[in-house]
Order: sequence, then structure tokens, then C-alpha cells
Amino acid sequence: MASFVTIGERIHCISPVIREAMEKMNPEPILKRAKEQIDAGATYLDVNIGPAESTGVELMKWAVQLLQENFDNVPLCLDTANAKAIEAGISVYNRAKGKPIVNSADAGDRIGNIDLAAANDAICFALCSKDGVPADNDERMAYCQEMLERGMMLGMDPADLWFDPLFLVIKGMQEKQMEVLECIKMLSDMGLNTTGGLSNISNGMPKHIRPIIDSAMVAMAMQCGLTSAIVNPCDLRLMETIKSCDIIKNNTLYADSYLEI
Amino acid sequence: MAFVQKPQVYKSAINTVELGVSDNKITLGGATVSPLYSFDAPIANAPKVGVEITDLGLEGEPKGIVDYYGDCKTIGEQAKKAAAMPGADFVCLRFVGAEPGEGDRSVEECVKIAKEVSEAIDIPLVIAGCKSSQKDAQIFEKIAEALSGKNVLFLSAKEENYKTVGASVGLAYSQKVGAESSVDINLAKQLNVLLTQLGVAKENIIMNLGSAAAGYGFEYVASTIDRVKQAALAQNDAMLQMPVVTPIASETWVVKEALASEEDMPEWGCQEQRGIEMEIVTAAACLACGSDAVILKHPASVATISAMVAALM
Repeated sequence: MASFVTIGERIHCISPVIREAMEKMNPEPILKRAKEQIDAGATYLDVNIGPAESTGVELMKWAVQLLQENFDNVPLCLDTANAKAIEAGISVYNRAKGKPIVNSADAGDRIGNIDLAAANDAICFALCSKDGVPADNDERMAYCQEMLERGMMLGMDPADLWFDPLFLVIKGMQEKQMEVLECIKMLSDMGLNTTGGLSNISNGMPKHIRPIIDSAMVAMAMQCGLTSAIVNPCDLRLMETIKSCDIIKNNTLYADSYLEI
Repeated sequence: MAFVQKPQVYKSAINTVELGVSDNKITLGGATVSPLYSFDAPIANAPKVGVEITDLGLEGEPKGIVDYYGDCKTIGEQAKKAAAMPGADFVCLRFVGAEPGEGDRSVEECVKIAKEVSEAIDIPLVIAGCKSSQKDAQIFEKIAEALSGKNVLFLSAKEENYKTVGASVGLAYSQKVGAESSVDINLAKQLNVLLTQLGVAKENIIMNLGSAAAGYGFEYVASTIDRVKQAALAQNDAMLQMPVVTPIASETWVVKEALASEEDMPEWGCQEQRGIEMEIVTAAACLACGSDAVILKHPASVATISAMVAALM
């Protein structure tokens, strides 16, 4: 019933512009990318500061405050392998527009991030994997169960665990795609929220192809019950597809101008 | 084990919209719970009841209404009496006679009547038009100008005239715009989008989702209001969070239950009582679905519905 949650992926330290801005704590390039994504319709913004082992705490606090002060407390997804940095980000986070998201936990080394999310009343992305790509859906669902039980033991609302089936790149793992969709269906049938790095599927494809294949995938995944994704919101075709799927699923009420709002 | 109540309170809220000025203003909307669910959370503003009078005076009105207004000679006197009706929160002046087929009252005359009514009352005013969208656009513009600063609601901007009504009523004179969609849920949202794109602030828009007397397609009205409230509260749809005003009197007093004489239908009982009952059941049902205000005309209906609202808050 709730509409699809889009999480903008473009504040990412892999981008040279963003990496440099983060190193120098230069607000301009980060604010520019944030604005582009919000204007394009992103609900959450992902803030990926990389491993940031030494500077993470300071950097995440700075980024959270910078973005929320400039964009009316935009809800954020705190994305780093440095758990201390995530905690530091949450300590200055304003929840007016939505809980913070911890990105991410898995059933392996990073399972402790579920504890972190539970202790801080945050949403947590839970990757259905332990080390590397899961062999099949039996494995995915076993990890899901493990993380779900851990979160619930710690008093988390199951709706705050957003399970990620791991979208796989089509060029190389084409035969695995339907399996990922089936996993989303299984998670959805359990009433769970789901998410994932959708753009991963089109890695390595020509630039003009990516919006087409990403849009097709999001539509098929939404049919299976996908409730959110980390995407490039500046991809107009993708955003139009998501809005249209939300209409077909009765997640939002139709009006002739639905693409404009 | 004891029953533990789990209140169903939404994170979203219906917009609040003020009508009138200073000490006499009223506020519509603000709810964060399902309609009338005051047991889940306090409802910021109770639904309001409006009293409708028309530019035709007491012509053709049932006896109870004529008796109530007694020897009122002018529309101003009648308006004053309407405002004093027990349970009245606002007065609605409907320009039935502005309709080209119903006397085609001139714009100047309409403005004069509106000013007379506005000056006579000390509670908020709602102006309702006629059946012609084109004529409505003309009279609304001039009345909005004449009543500038009074914070009046105009019913309504429709698909055919929203540009002119939105530009004059909403933008030029900062009055409140009613967006009317005649039981078309997608148009309801679309009109709000269009008015917003025109520049009318969300806080200045009220929805008239249309109405029908109970038994005359009311189930469509009910499901429309219900779905709109779900979108507003459960789906946080900003384009449907405007409060809802539902005119009742203009729908219920024109159906056969209210019109058939006792000579023709002796088994149906007192004609006037039938009209009152149609008005009451329709208004009560609309409030249960989510209307933030209803517009009635008979003193007995106004008393009953305002007592019902008071008892439920």
C-alpha cells in the first residue's frame, strides 16, 4: 500500500568529485548532487563515505548535518563499513522525515550492524549473504531467517529490516536473474520489506542501454513485491517506470499529472 | 489477558485551513486519525456545520425553514438569522439565481448580495455558485474582490474554470478555493495538482469531492471520500491532504423523498420530516466517511448533526 521508496545513490565516494569533496570537506559538490537527486524525486539519499577508517566519525557527522540542514531534514541512508561512523551519524541525525538507515548488515562479518540499528531505532539493510554471492535461494532465505531472528530478539520491528536479495550483474550472471526475482517474491510473501542496489544489474552495459534494462528490472521486481531500491533518481525513464508501477499497484492514487509530482 | 488498545494514529495529517478572520475564524482539518476516531487520538478540529441560504430568499422553502426565518425581509436579515442558528459554524450563500436559466442574476447584483450577507454575519462565509461554470467564474472574481480580506471559501473551481477561479479567488484575492470533482477520485487529485501548479498554496485549497443523497449513488461518494482519506493519511499523498467540504442540502432537498407531496405519497408520512431525515442521514454518513464540514439548511438537521459531532468528539 505504501509507495516505493527510492534511495538516491549518487553521493558515493567512488565518484572522483565526491571523493575529493569528502576529503576536503567541501560542501558544494555534495549539495549539488543532493539537490539534483531530491529534485528528481528521491525519498532517501545514500551517503557513502567508503571505509573511512580514520576520518569516518567526523566525516559522517559533517555530511549528515550538511545535508539535513540544507534540505529540510532529508532522510538519509548511512553507508560505510565503519560502524563507529554510522553511530556518529545517527547521533546528529534528525528523524523528522524518517528514521536513519544503516547500510548495511549481512549474515557474516557485518551482522553486528543489526545490533547497531536495534540500539539506535534505525532501519537496517540486511544483505542475504554471508561471504560472496549466495549459491541459491535456499541459502538466501536461511540468511534472511538468521538476520530476522536476530533483529526481533533485539526488539526490532520486522518492518525495519529491509532485506536485500543481492541484485547481480546481467553481463556474467544472466542465468541468475529470475532467481533474484523469486527471492524478492518469497521475502514479500513473508510480509518483509525489500531493497537492493538495482543499478548493479546493468554494470558494464552501454550508457544508453542502462535506463532501459534498469526500468524493466524495477518493474519486474515491483511486481514481485520489491518495496525500495538504491537507484540513480536522475534516470528519468527509471523514475517514470517506478511512478507508473506505483499507480498500477494502487500504491499511489492516479491523476493525469502523476509523473509531474 | 486485558485488552490493550493500539491506537491507529497516522504520521500524516489533513491540512488545516482557516476560514474567516480574527476572533470569528474556524479551522478545518488537522486530523491524524480515521474520520471521527477520537478514541485513537484527539481530533484537533471537530467537523464543522454550515447553514445554507440562497439568493432566492425563502421562495419554495419548507414550512419549518420559513417559520425559522419568520419575518426576515432582506437577505441580510436572513443571513444574520442563519448565523444565529444553534449549531451553525459558518454560513453558505448559494447563488441559485445566477444561473442563466434561473434568472441570470447580474454579476453586480450578486456582489451586492454577497456584501450584504458578509456584513450581516459574524461567522465565516462560504460562497457557492450556480450550475454554470462560466457564470461562476465571473461572479466569483468580483465577489472575491469585494470581500477582500474576509477569508471566504468559494465553491467551487471545476475542471472547466479552475484557471480563472484559481487565479482570481486564490491568487489575486487570497481567498480559499474549493476544488470540485463530482465524485471523480482521479480528477479530485488532478485538480489539486493543477491548482497547486497554478500557484495556489495547498493551505488555501479545500476539496468538494461531490455529494449525492443517500440512495442516489451515495456509495460512490462514500468510497471516494474513503479512498481520498486513505491516500491522505496512510499513503501520505500531499495532493489529497486538503480538508473536504460536502454540500448536503442542495442534494437532499431535490430528491423525490423530499419533494413528493403527502397527497401523492400518503404512506410516506410528513413531507418536511422526510426532507429533514434525508439531510441528516446523508450528512452523518459523509462525516463518518471523512468530510471535514457539511452544509445543511433545515434548523432541525443543523441541531441534530452538530449535537452528533459534539457527542463524538
